[in-house]
Amino acid sequence: MVGMPLVLLLIFGYGIRLSVNNISAELVGQDSTVVRVALAQHDHFDVRLSVATNEAAARHDLRVGKVAIAVLVGPTGLPTGVLVDGSDAFVAQNSLEYLRSFNASAGAGALRVQVLYNPTLRSADFMVPAEVGMIMLWVGTVATAIGVVREREQGTLEQLMMTPIRKLELMVGKILPYSVLTLLIAVVITALGLALFAVPLRGNPFELLLFAVPYLVAALSIGLLVSTVAQNQRQAMQTAAFILLPQVLLSGALFPLSAIPWGIRWVSQLLPLTYFTPITRGVFLKGLGFSELWPQVSVLCAMAVVFTSLAAMFFKTRLD
Amino acid sequence: MAAPVIQARGLVKSFSGVRSLDEVDVEVAEGELCGVVGADGAGKTTLLRCIAGLYRSDSGDVRPGRARRDLVGFCPQGFHMYADLSVDENVEFFGSVYGLDPSTLRRRRDEMLDFTGLAAHRSRLAGELSGGMKQKLTLACSVLHRPPILLLDEPTTGVDPISRRDFWQLIEVLHTSGTTILMATAYFDEVERCQRLVFLHDGRVLASGTLDDLVASGADLETTFRERILEHDRARGRVEVS
Repeated sequence: MVGMPLVLLLIFGYGIRLSVNNISAELVGQDSTVVRVALAQHDHFDVRLSVATNEAAARHDLRVGKVAIAVLVGPTGLPTGVLVDGSDAFVAQNSLEYLRSFNASAGAGALRVQVLYNPTLRSADFMVPAEVGMIMLWVGTVATAIGVVREREQGTLEQLMMTPIRKLELMVGKILPYSVLTLLIAVVITALGLALFAVPLRGNPFELLLFAVPYLVAALSIGLLVSTVAQNQRQAMQTAAFILLPQVLLSGALFPLSAIPWGIRWVSQLLPLTYFTPITRGVFLKGLGFSELWPQVSVLCAMAVVFTSLAAMFFKTRLD
Repeated sequence: MAAPVIQARGLVKSFSGVRSLDEVDVEVAEGELCGVVGADGAGKTTLLRCIAGLYRSDSGDVRPGRARRDLVGFCPQGFHMYADLSVDENVEFFGSVYGLDPSTLRRRRDEMLDFTGLAAHRSRLAGELSGGMKQKLTLACSVLHRPPILLLDEPTTGVDPISRRDFWQLIEVLHTSGTTILMATAYFDEVERCQRLVFLHDGRVLASGTLDDLVASGADLETTFRERILEHDRARGRVEVS
């Protein structure tokens, strides 16, 4: 009763910032002290700048999420334009705002600013892909947790425990229907996102579905873990909310990771949604595939193994 | 007595430091019908769950236990079937979990529904059945795999007298066919039907044996049981001797 509001207070108080700092940036064409100094005057930009050889290389870096902005440097060493990754509208909007004052300090004239992937910075393009992950997490975790606890309350689990069914079979039996249900919901949400909000889906939807599998297994295993500690459905709901709300807030789905202070950001690294959000945004807005998203997919696979193992460890096939 | 197929020796089980079973010894021979009688909280359900392997005992030996679930059919107290599935679907589901192949499952399902008198209600939702029918459905699902051992935890509690009588007919058919049955009950008239009786009180076995062993001629079972409880409580200093 007291724990959850306290944790949320701490997260909102310390974890959520509306101004984005450490926006990763790179120079394009050549290094420029003028640009470096001008960017360094802003706390908002990451001064550990790399230099991309040309605009094509910079566009690649933006596409794979290596950097959030790329400053094109002219032969005189002055900035001539900026490319901005618009897939995270929050970061892009902040970047554009900071760049207005950067113009003046860098001594540049009117810069050619191009926002990629979401040129008009539409909220729907930013939110709908993230919502797919959030909804899958909520439905998968809560449905599994409540489903298993309800079975325990109704005694059907006791009856199942008396059959020769093995623990793994029982777990898979509990997870499988909710996996199908959650995947169906994800498909419906995606279809509605495309139809109602005209969100672009530039990548391969089947690949996205494949990437969703380890994420889903991780989410459902969290649900199973919740069911091992909850005594009744109300407790299961509360425990799930206690786990899910911080996950939504700290994963980068709503607020960018770069807006989360380092002291709390390590928590983000433990959350499946942190890795699934770049996948959905990458596939929807940038048309990314496995060759670009394998790091996130690999982490989700590892998380699926860890959470499933933990669930297997704590899931009881006895009543005591 | 033939070799026991159900056995508990020195069984101890505690919850939050309170002993629910205290050095309990119970033996049931093959083909025997044994009744455990006791008031609410005596430890009947805990005993059956330990024997079924649903609880891990703190100490003592128990047989058959969890390792031989294939040998045991278990009818828990209350209704533990899927209320939103039909009678047929419940039987088919549990049959498939017991690993029956589809043709065997269909045959056993029909046999069991005929046996329990549920054939006419096979498409009804389990949650909409009467109390007696629910217990029959639980029994049908518990013996689908034809277990040699059947554990019944107060199967007729809250069931009307006619359904109780029907249910007992089913138990007697199973017993006659060679099933070893251990049944917990709070009803003396039910336990009197058993070949072997166990008086359970406060997690302890106060007495066990046949009806003739336990009840002196002219006395009735309930009075004998009450006297045993009084002796036990006196011994533990709970009742003042006037």
